[in-house]
Amino acid sequence: MTMQADNNTPAGRTKTPGTTAIAVQSVFRKYYFTQAARIEVPDRIEEREFGYMRFGDSFPAAGGAMVRHLAFRSVGELVASLIRDPPADVFCSNAYYRFPANEMREKEWRGADLIFDIDGKDFDLPCVPSHSYLVCRECGFSDLQENLHGPQAGLSFVCPSCKASRPNITSLPCTKCIDASKNEAIRLVSLLSGDFGIELDRIKVYFSGNNGFHLHVSDDSFNQLDSQARSDIVGYLTGNGLMPESIGVRKAGDRGFAIRFPRGGISYGWRARVAKKLKIDASSEKKLEHIVSQKGGYAGFRTELERIAREEGLVIDPQVTTDTHRVFRMPGTLNSKSGLAKVRCGNIGSFDPFTEACLLEDQEIITTAKADVKVRLRGKTFRLEVKERSILLPAYAAVYLACKGLAELEISS
Amino acid sequence: MSIRLGTSDIAKYPFLREASEYVRQTGFGFEEFDRPEMQYIVDRAARRIEQEIVTGQVFDEFDERTEILTFLISLMIVKSLGMEPILRKYSLFESMRAEKFLVRDLEQLKSKNEKRQLLLFKIFEELFKVKVDIDTTDSRLFKVRVVDYLLRASHFHEQEWKLVNRLVHGGYVYLDADETVRLIRVELSALIYDRVKEMSIPSVPDAIKSRTENLKEKLRPYFEYRTYKVSDYPPCVKHAIEVMNRGENLPHSARVMLATYMLAIEKPVDEIIALFQNAPDYNERITRYQVQHLAGEKGSRTRYSVPSCDKLRNENLCFATAECSGIINPVQFGRRARNNDNAGR
Ligand code: SF4
Ligand SMILES: [Zn+2]
Ligand SMILES: [Zn+2]
Repeated sequence: MTMQADNNTPAGRTKTPGTTAIAVQSVFRKYYFTQAARIEVPDRIEEREFGYMRFGDSFPAAGGAMVRHLAFRSVGELVASLIRDPPADVFCSNAYYRFPANEMREKEWRGADLIFDIDGKDFDLPCVPSHSYLVCRECGFSDLQENLHGPQAGLSFVCPSCKASRPNITSLPCTKCIDASKNEAIRLVSLLSGDFGIELDRIKVYFSGNNGFHLHVSDDSFNQLDSQARSDIVGYLTGNGLMPESIGVRKAGDRGFAIRFPRGGISYGWRARVAKKLKIDASSEKKLEHIVSQKGGYAGFRTELERIAREEGLVIDPQVTTDTHRVFRMPGTLNSKSGLAKVRCGNIGSFDPFTEACLLEDQEIITTAKADVKVRLRGKTFRLEVKERSILLPAYAAVYLACKGLAELEISS
Repeated sequence: MSIRLGTSDIAKYPFLREASEYVRQTGFGFEEFDRPEMQYIVDRAARRIEQEIVTGQVFDEFDERTEILTFLISLMIVKSLGMEPILRKYSLFESMRAEKFLVRDLEQLKSKNEKRQLLLFKIFEELFKVKVDIDTTDSRLFKVRVVDYLLRASHFHEQEWKLVNRLVHGGYVYLDADETVRLIRVELSALIYDRVKEMSIPSVPDAIKSRTENLKEKLRPYFEYRTYKVSDYPPCVKHAIEVMNRGENLPHSARVMLATYMLAIEKPVDEIIALFQNAPDYNERITRYQVQHLAGEKGSRTRYSVPSCDKLRNENLCFATAECSGIINPVQFGRRARNNDNAGR
């Protein structure tokens, strides 16, 4: 049986529901069955809360149900459950609890790893519209954002096929996207070790499994910090709230200002970053004075400082780091937004997610493209066209496109 | 804690266990407080409490010979006064007093490995679990570990305490003497509070008993009919009242905050209910039930406490001003704010 060519029409929805979901799920099952060793056992596993995102019938258009408050005593127990009924996504708490399976109020929090999320889509790169697709939530019609809106991603969408107006946006990150978040991850590691003094071997960098990187810090002293303290860390990393006073510029009188470098000098941390931007050093109080007046005094300088802070600050998701009760994607498991795995990066600089995180089998699956699309995985380029109807693709490529909502899969026997 | 202290150190930091140990070793007995020449110290202790509670000024007399006994007697008096607000206020003032000594001592450190330095750093480390070190290049600069800093300073409201405005390098935050001591203010006052709480006095000597009675009379007016003017309320509460007065809708969590706060300052239930009468969905009967429930008179019978500043901040109910400095719960607002002002810090 081949896919109906009319899968771009509302009638397409009446096809056997969920064949794509079932096919993806079965590839996921094989992964958990044959590559269970890739799942990274968190320390103190019995104190962690686990969560699953189930496959929805209309995968990937709508997510399935989220299940939380699970607990496992060993990784074997976890893997058994992943094979029995493979979820779309697997999460594990960064927190340790006395009773991880209880409801939130009764878990008894005992600490949480410090975690960071760097997401490629937060960089607003110019390349994004060229590899982002709008997928109609009603009929599954999809096309490049560029084709639908031109390069300027507009806000309104009317499905050319069914006239519905609710699209999902899906993106096939390119190497530029990956490089942007990679860079951020490298900067983050250097701040964590240089400024916060965290030992490098306590900082683990992971590819998120889709379009970004996750950092896990397992350092006993940091894991006791509450969410307020973590938010202070986020502020430091992003440069949010940097005051002129911290580099020695204060208000004086009505419109005036005064300058005295802080006692600790300006050669470290944020002070050093700002000094470098302003091209000043410990002997340049006069020069700084000149800069501040040029910017129109204290208030003007503050605006300038905010700009520098935005430029120099890191782009991380503040919510992930501040939340001490989060379940976070588990290392070694598959990401249902791509079918790629969340994996530890040995050498982040040279890390290539499209080979190193592309771990599904290569058994072929009947695939029907929903949009014209080109993708490069494990060193091979796959080109699909809508008019081509169904073709055979290795599972890793078929699943990648299916997870992106750009292809439908047949159930393999 | 095993620090070898000189008497002058004990006199400055009489809350250290060494202080009571020192008194024990001198063979001093409680009966001796009844001896006439002790009257001076008992009076001094009473004066110390009275000044701090009534005028809100740190008692800054220092007399090395009588300091420890004065402190011990003042603890005894506070204990037998048995009034929680006095104990809290007293703890805060004693910690502010000790802060001054700590800052001065830190500032006077000249070189590394001085005996005094060891003492000071031990106080920080053993009492407050903060490891303090001197910067190698500038002896006026101290460093504490990033985590130790965050555990405390992330609860301060002033922007300048945000990590981003600090010198952070190699795992340390660099601070001057003032800031280093400020970091442990809350813990210092908690320590003194605990010392009083855990103290057991088999029998209070007569001389102290009579002085206590006398003080009780004097202090009563300050604690019994305490009326709160609107300007005394913390900004979060003030804001909630304003919203209410405008007849606008206030989120549930803000109502809980408002009611629990009013209960905490012992406003009569009827007056609390009246605060809500401008609410668009006001219903006297329901409001009364809810307030009584929060008061622990209805339902679960547990009295609800005022949500912490932290929690309120998370719910966007916090409107902190400079006066909120150093507090972790809105109920502390009036006390600290006034204390700080009067102490001229
Ligand atoms: S700091 Fe506390 S008291 Fe002050 S406004 Fe915020 S919540 Fe209210
Ligand atoms: Zn459609
Ligand atoms: Zn890109």
